[in-house]
Formats: sequence, C-alpha cells, structure tokens
Amino acid sequence: MRVIWAIVLGGLLWALPPSPSAPTSQRGDQAGDPDVLREANRILEEEIKLAARPQIYLLLDLPDRLIAIKGRGIDLHRLPITAWQTVEERAMAGVFRLRARPQVVRPKAAPPDDPTQDPIELKDMPAAYELLFDPTLAVTVAPPFQERPWLWVKSLMRHSWLGVASWIRSAAAIDEKATSPCLRLTLSVEAAQSLAWSVTDGMPLLIRRTMP
Amino acid sequence: MKVLPPLSVFVLIGVLFLLASHLRGPSEAEGNAANLEPHKRSAASELSRLLARHVSLRHQLAQQAPAGHYIVVDTAHNRLYVNRHQAVLLTALASTGSGTILNDPDRPGTKWIFDTPRGEFSIQAKLTNPVWVKPDWAFLEEGLAVPTDPEQRFESDVLGDYALGFGKGYFIHGTLYARLLGKNVTHGCIRLQDDDLQKVYQLSKIGTPVMIF
Repeated sequence: MRVIWAIVLGGLLWALPPSPSAPTSQRGDQAGDPDVLREANRILEEEIKLAARPQIYLLLDLPDRLIAIKGRGIDLHRLPITAWQTVEERAMAGVFRLRARPQVVRPKAAPPDDPTQDPIELKDMPAAYELLFDPTLAVTVAPPFQERPWLWVKSLMRHSWLGVASWIRSAAAIDEKATSPCLRLTLSVEAAQSLAWSVTDGMPLLIRRTMP
Repeated sequence: MKVLPPLSVFVLIGVLFLLASHLRGPSEAEGNAANLEPHKRSAASELSRLLARHVSLRHQLAQQAPAGHYIVVDTAHNRLYVNRHQAVLLTALASTGSGTILNDPDRPGTKWIFDTPRGEFSIQAKLTNPVWVKPDWAFLEEGLAVPTDPEQRFESDVLGDYALGFGKGYFIHGTLYARLLGKNVTHGCIRLQDDDLQKVYQLSKIGTPVMIF
C-alpha cells in the first residue's frame, strides 16, 4: 500500500507545474524595466485611492513573495509567501473585495460561565482554506508540503480543478473577458493562520503581478 | 593585349564594390542601426516618464500616512504599538477580544460577539480615572439580572487610571488582570498594563488614528 501511495505522490510531484521563479526582488530592476514600472505605478494608483479612506487592506506582492496588511499606505504587518501559482494572472488587475472567508466556530458561553475562558486564538484559525473575492477571484491557501502534506495536496488538487474550470468557462463563453483568475498561495502554518485571522468581510485586495 | 594578373583583378573588383556601396548609401543593416537611435531615444523618454510618475505616486501615497503619532493593534498577537512615521515609539503587550458569543437567556436571538473591531478608528475620548458603566452583558455573564437603576451600573477602579475611547463603546484601558495580557480574553476593548497605558495616553490626542487588524 505504501508503495502505491509513494508512486501516486511521486507521480503527482513529477506532474507539478514548476514553481515560479526564485524570490528575487524586482524592485531593484524597476529603474530599467518599463513593464515592471508600469505595474508598480498601477498598484500605486490603486493604493492611493484605498489609503485615502480609513480602512485596512491587503497588498499581495507576487514578485516579492509578500502579503502586506496595510492602512494609510503603511505596512502594518507582513506575511511571507513560500510559493505561489496562478491561473489567468493577467486578469488580476484592479481592486478585489473579500466575499467569503473561512468560518470559525465561536465558543458559546451560557451564563454564569465566563465567556472569555475559552477564547478564539490564532492557533484556532485554519491553515488551509479558500478566500473568494469580487470580481471573481479564488485564492486557495495551504501550508508547505513539508509541514502539512495532505493539506498541500488538497490545495493543489483544488487549484488544478479551478484552473480547468476557468479554462472551460472561458472556452465556452468565447468571450476573452469571461475569466476566472485563481491564485494558490503556499504559506507557513502561522502565516496562513495570521492571514485567516486578519481578513474581514469586504476587505480590499490589490495584487502586484509578475506579468503586467 | 597584356592580361592583368589575378591579384590586381581582385583589388580592382574590391575598390569598385566599395565605391558602389558608398554611392548607393547605407546598407540595410546600417539603416536599421541608424533608425535605432530615435527608437532608443523614445524608449528612454518613456522610461523617464514612468520613473517620474513612479516618484510622484510614491510621494502621493506617503502623504496618506498619518502626520503625527498613530496606534497599531495586532489582535492576533495581542500587541499594541505607538508609531510615528516609520518609527515604533512603544510596543506594549495587550489583551484583545476573545471572539466568543454570549446569548441573552431572556431575549432569544439577542447575542453579543466579543470581538475587537478591525479597521481604522481614531481616539475620540481621553478619560482619567474612568468609571465603567456596566453594559447588560456584564450582568448576564455573572448570572445577575440587568438592573433598572442606572446607578447600579457604575463601577470604579476596574479600568485603570486612563481610558481612551475609539468609538462604539470600545476603549483602550487598564486591567486588574495583568496576568492575562498577551491573550484574547476581553469583551472587545483593548487592555494594557498601567505603565504602557500611561505612555499611550500621553502620546495620543483626540483624533490620533487607531489601526486595528
């Protein structure tokens, strides 16, 4: 049985699309690459509008492999991205708003119990989940294979399925604008839980892409 | 007639070829190279335009940041920071909302969720020697009836020396339970130990932004 599992997993790993390039920072190249500058300027234009309002928003920086929780243009907290994969990356422009996030089971207290005795903590947050945004964008989050192999494989299968579904939808619709971009993030367990903790309904998201 | 030696023929052909080339003008390859100059100039101009725009946008974004002190609260790790520009002036251990639910036994469907609100707020009130006006849930979670006499809601010496209100009844205040700092145990307010609370009180003023995530 173990041999079969090893063959299945080995085959899966072999069939994996290669991980995006090494996490080299593109900021240093900005001065020389018009496309990188155009993308950076697009992000800044959107971010200025978001930062003008009293709200917390997310900036997902794919080239720098970083998620920044921001307010007023300031980085409040940063979460490193271990790896990522996209479907329809080109369509990840504009501001996305969080529509659905993982549900957390809240402990209920019955008086005279102290409701603060059994609080929700960071470790109670899920490490593998899906965030859905408007306009259509699905972000699947999972820890690295080394930390939680099964969750990682599940997220890979989910992402692959979303990719195929997106392709079928765009092919059936013939309309090139009918895209369903998907993003698969591999985050450490703590970073994944921190992200699940920090996102709120309607939270705006910006994505800095590698290919403007 | 004397036949020219082969070497001379080659030299003559070479000279004629060079002359013809010169008279014909630049070759295709040379023409491309000549046309490259305007293209390069255009690319450089586009690049400098993009760079100028980038610098301007960065400046505009920087202007959105608070001009003075601002408070950042990390509810996941129960930390409160007082910052100014990029400098962290104070890091304090805090207690934030427990995230639990309390149902009202007398009114089915009525419940309280003890979350610290997320988003950007601002300091709206600065109080010294604050008195806690106990809300309904405070009585219910003790298994007591909600009093009809408002006087019975007042409780002093439980919020510390200072309280900073940031809206909707939420405060940054002191605590009698310092051993629980660093944990998610509150009903939504942000608790600090006495020394940190005093510093936050001194560094803040009405309008100081409070960013909670």
